[in-house]
Amino acid sequence: MRDYILLYVNGREQRISAAQAFQPASDYLRLDLGQCGTKVVCAEGDCGACSVMVGRLATEAGLEPGNELTYVPINSCIQYLYQLDCTHLITVEGLKFDGQLNPVQQSMVDSNGAQCGYCTPGFVVAMCGLANDLQSQQQCQGKTCYPSEKQVKDSLTGNLCRCTGYEAIINAGMAVDLGRYKSFSELYPDKEMVANFKAHAQNELMLKLGGRTAFNPTSLSSACKFLNEQEKVVIVSGGTDVSVNMNKRDLVPANVMSTAALPGLSELKVLDESGRKVLSVGAKVTLRQLENLMKDLVPEFHKILWVYGSPQIRHAGTLAGNIANGSPIADSTPFLFLMEAEIEVTGCGGVRKIPMAEFYKGYKQLSLHKDELITRILLPLPHANELVKLYKISRRQHLDISAFTAAIRISLKGNIIERAFVVFGGVGPVVMRCAAVEAALLGTTHELVTYEAAGKIAKEVITPITDVRGSRDFRLALAENILSKFYFETASNEREFACR
Amino acid sequence: MSIIGKNIPHDSAPGHVSGESVYIDDIAPSRNELLVDYFGSPFAHGRIKSLDLSDALKVPGVAALYTYKDLHHNVFGPITQDEILLVEDVAEFIGQPIVVIAAESRAAIKAAKAAIKLDMEELKPVLTVAGAIAAGQYLDKTYKIERGNVAAAFASADHIIEGRFVIAGADHFYLESQACLVYPGEYNQLTIHSSTQNPSEVQHVVAHLLGLQLNEVVCLIKRMGGGFGGKECQATHPAVMAALVALKTKRPARIVYTKDDDMKYTGKRHPYQNDYKVAFDSEGVITALEASLYADGGAYNDLSTAVLGRSLTHIDNAYYLPNLLAVGKICKTNFPPNTAFRGFGGPQGAITIENIMEEIAVYLGQDAYEVRRKNCYGVSDRNVTHYGQLLVNNTLPQIFDELSQSCNYAERVTAVKKFNAESKTHLKGLSFTGLKFGISFTNKFLNQANALVNIYLDGTIQVSTGATEMGQGVNTNIKMLVADEFAIAPEHVIVMTTSTEKNNNTSATAASSATDLNGSAAVNACLKIKERLNVVASNYFAGREIGIGAYSDSIVYEGGFVFDERRPHVKLTFPELVNLAYRERVSLGERGHYITPSIGFDWSVGQGSPFLYFTNGASCSEVLIDRFTGELKVERVDILMDIGKSINPGLNRGQITGAFIQGMGWLTTEDLRYAASGALLSYSPTTYKIPNIYDTPPVFNVDTIDNDCTVNVKGSKAVGEPPLLLAFSVFFAVKNALSYVSGKEIATLVTPASGEEILSRLTEYKLKAAGLPFTPWPAEAGSVLQRAMSRAKGYSLIQDSVSAATLAEGDTIKIPVTVNGNGAGNGEEPLNGTNGSALKASEDEQELATEAAI
Repeated sequence: MRDYILLYVNGREQRISAAQAFQPASDYLRLDLGQCGTKVVCAEGDCGACSVMVGRLATEAGLEPGNELTYVPINSCIQYLYQLDCTHLITVEGLKFDGQLNPVQQSMVDSNGAQCGYCTPGFVVAMCGLANDLQSQQQCQGKTCYPSEKQVKDSLTGNLCRCTGYEAIINAGMAVDLGRYKSFSELYPDKEMVANFKAHAQNELMLKLGGRTAFNPTSLSSACKFLNEQEKVVIVSGGTDVSVNMNKRDLVPANVMSTAALPGLSELKVLDESGRKVLSVGAKVTLRQLENLMKDLVPEFHKILWVYGSPQIRHAGTLAGNIANGSPIADSTPFLFLMEAEIEVTGCGGVRKIPMAEFYKGYKQLSLHKDELITRILLPLPHANELVKLYKISRRQHLDISAFTAAIRISLKGNIIERAFVVFGGVGPVVMRCAAVEAALLGTTHELVTYEAAGKIAKEVITPITDVRGSRDFRLALAENILSKFYFETASNEREFACR
Repeated sequence: MSIIGKNIPHDSAPGHVSGESVYIDDIAPSRNELLVDYFGSPFAHGRIKSLDLSDALKVPGVAALYTYKDLHHNVFGPITQDEILLVEDVAEFIGQPIVVIAAESRAAIKAAKAAIKLDMEELKPVLTVAGAIAAGQYLDKTYKIERGNVAAAFASADHIIEGRFVIAGADHFYLESQACLVYPGEYNQLTIHSSTQNPSEVQHVVAHLLGLQLNEVVCLIKRMGGGFGGKECQATHPAVMAALVALKTKRPARIVYTKDDDMKYTGKRHPYQNDYKVAFDSEGVITALEASLYADGGAYNDLSTAVLGRSLTHIDNAYYLPNLLAVGKICKTNFPPNTAFRGFGGPQGAITIENIMEEIAVYLGQDAYEVRRKNCYGVSDRNVTHYGQLLVNNTLPQIFDELSQSCNYAERVTAVKKFNAESKTHLKGLSFTGLKFGISFTNKFLNQANALVNIYLDGTIQVSTGATEMGQGVNTNIKMLVADEFAIAPEHVIVMTTSTEKNNNTSATAASSATDLNGSAAVNACLKIKERLNVVASNYFAGREIGIGAYSDSIVYEGGFVFDERRPHVKLTFPELVNLAYRERVSLGERGHYITPSIGFDWSVGQGSPFLYFTNGASCSEVLIDRFTGELKVERVDILMDIGKSINPGLNRGQITGAFIQGMGWLTTEDLRYAASGALLSYSPTTYKIPNIYDTPPVFNVDTIDNDCTVNVKGSKAVGEPPLLLAFSVFFAVKNALSYVSGKEIATLVTPASGEEILSRLTEYKLKAAGLPFTPWPAEAGSVLQRAMSRAKGYSLIQDSVSAATLAEGDTIKIPVTVNGNGAGNGEEPLNGTNGSALKASEDEQELATEAAI
């Protein structure tokens, strides 16, 4: 057992004992280290001002730890220190090249990308993350090469600015000469860090402070044992929701168990199970990794993952975490219901699979035994001839939580609906398949009147509430309309209008 | 080669991008520093029955608890002194401070809050404009501007539209929340670092409430992480609380609001409910306007009087209103006092007439741009505002004509019509709106500034002014102005931390005028120094060059050198001249003072020339709406502005794009949702959605016209607030899109045009087309505070042969109204103008009051 966290900050080693461990990284940076460049605004991962780069031993999809660090941007306000054992944080203070502004920083200065400056460190960090990713690509090496507008925007959806209207920031990003950008591994040679991390990673981390324990097991058996023996264990994966509850809603778990050091949960691969492609998603696969894979594999799911939180959230959060969090407005789960995914859970007694439809017993109530944790998700992928559409309605397109979600999957024989799956989120305590609507669709013709009639049934059978994200009536109207929208998007003779 | 007009970066930019810029909460804590927070009212309206602090005082780490009894005064306010800082008896809004807590740690503060025993009787709150009208609760008198003969104009009108336009508030969402750090000094002196736009006000309020002399309090502000008006007055509250702790405990005291608390408990942009009645001819030219503006002031006046004043002076926006009666009232409600927010009431006035323009166009079946162009202020006639100010060098017609051409307005209208006729899934809308924004504080005495310029022996300069830097670049502008006066490199000028110690009795950095006022004061200081340096220089050159007498008027500063223009080959460097002057015992420091000339306004008659000049512009926006979900995309925006000659065009462009997007957020995604109790539900960025990077329009054309504003410093015009109003075009593009599906009705909607609001309108028009009734959302009385709805109805006096005089009493427009969140059901409320006579505020109120009381 190890009783301190090993962390590097801008290349300097820090050993953090339990006394300091139960706080978000942003507080540690600002209050303990006095590095105040990292700003805290919302303290819930919704503004990006606290963005830092985190370097971990590479765990590319399906691979075990490699010999170098890979860096991703995260929100340091919702990453507690025990989640960051054996990582390297690069903050805004650690980005200069030899004491000079780096090309991203200089571009932000030259393009007037900073006004009041409070969001700026977060933007600069996220933009440096983009530059770090892109500079390694073949076409940029040693040449003049700039990020595209889409790349810049995609990398900055997790950062809010109130002053600039973003135009200047987009321009700044697009003017960064990637050929002149040095990678983080060049700025911070990682040989020593990698060796140190590997040496430490063997040793399970256990931190105790007052009545609180944080535990990072290094094997599933150890994890299950801890779950079995301790009471009220909160399992933390990306922590993007749990940490918000700790920051904002007085959640003070007696026991926190991080999945960070668990081996074998990073696999992401497509299996072929009797003709159907099934995606196997390890519990530690981040939403970002999934997003990258879905781009070509299931573009419709990619569309949802693309607007899921922000890059900072997706780099930390996992599909397993989104499932375990059990929110009725989770972005990923409607698709899992739609495809009849299975959740593989592991406990002291072994492994079992739970169908998605049986996983939730009620609002945030899971069909998990005390000693079990999610280890894998088996996600069947749609056949090419199935009509599948996913919908997320939120106040803002990016970095917003759904007011309403829907997922619809139809198989046609000729023009007759042979199979129908209709899933709604945000209309009740759990994400739900809507049997009445499915029944109404089955055996009918794929035409507008069918879906209009189904929409009316949808409106009758759901019981949404009015809350801050939308009124009951809004959600009722959405449930009714979304079926017609689906029709226009899938009927070949109507698609030209839908694409506008 | 002047630096003016060049794009030099913001003077803080290198620090911003490297995380080195220091904000209040970045200042390292001192050893014995206390953290300060407060315990506030749980009710929007409630009376304290008992307050027991004994347990809270025993919490380990709690250093002190204070109540109103510990203050010297407890009442303050920038205009009318009506605000209570710490609740004595009755709390007027949720979170109104009751107990100030000083502790060693955040944990101790939290424990103290839990240990405070408060027994409070909940009183009925007033949470809507209609409720305030019903209760007759106003924060100030009725304000009025009147011109021409409104009654006669309505009597002879061709057409009339009556309506109500409901405008929501908005949170400033400055990234840096309210923050203050106070160091106690010797005797009772205090040094206050406050994130404020108005250090003099912090100084005044702290001194007043703590019973100190003004000269005992120094307030400093290096920079803010955004202000947008939210730190013009409301930085004072945390400052007083921290100062109270520092004064009493003799320990440094820091208060930093969390974002959640800041959003919940500080004032916002004023929501408005504006009733109007407009007369116009068949060409769409307005002949008369009656308007009643009801601002939701919140619990105390704060700046509401001035905000309302600007709404009334901006009810015309870019349009000539020959006959007008505009009255305004400030409703008292149980919300935190609403306050300044970029535009300062101007937007809430101006958007009303833009709404009317859109409705006239729909009613007459004309193009909305054409209607606006016909009503646009003229250059040589129709160029006097409703309060009597002549528009000098009016650039509005030029801007309208140029932008409508450059954005291909006419062709795009045709394309939108075609699209809407064809698409079964989406709707498009296009709108062109104007902008005329008056520059100067409407309160005359505020239009002054002083600046301190100190030159050091190496030729470098420090400048101090009352302007505060919140990202807008005022310090960079001032640096450029000073560098330009001496023709030295801008790197040799530093604009120092704003401090009441260096600049006394300053005005807020507000009204877009910080550069105008403080820059001019700095230039005046430079000119006074130059007068003295010129004498030194002319004596020097006269001694060097035979045949020229000392003549200070021929001294020239250029490219870092000083010379006599008659002998330009003999030069001094600027540091050489400074040294020469020093040895001649000439003062190298100076204070400049500036007053804005030729302005004045008299509210007793609602007439005057309150503005030095106007910043003008126009914008055109195209939007795409999903017919099934109400989702909105802003596809293209074109902007053209007259901002005079820019001191720094790059910074100005940032002001234009930033203000536009901020305005767009207010009018689209930013939705302040309240519980029926008055508690704000959307109090963090998780639920309150300001625009994101993908919300910036994919096509965003921003341009300016060439113009020289001869009355202002270097021919420049203020640009901080005005472009926010350009975002109107986004909102009215939505209204335009809805007009394609609203049948015979004039499409109406409230702000913000959120997806939900748009879908509710689409649903209403769809149901009505099918002959079905529509109940406003949310239909059931629930946990969410319901809002009033916008409505409009037009009628012709020609076609119906109904003269104004014979419009029967009771022949009213029925408008559903909601009162106190108790449901939209029973309220059918008559709108103003039940007959053709001019609107009287008092009558109107009584009507509303009667109805609302039902």
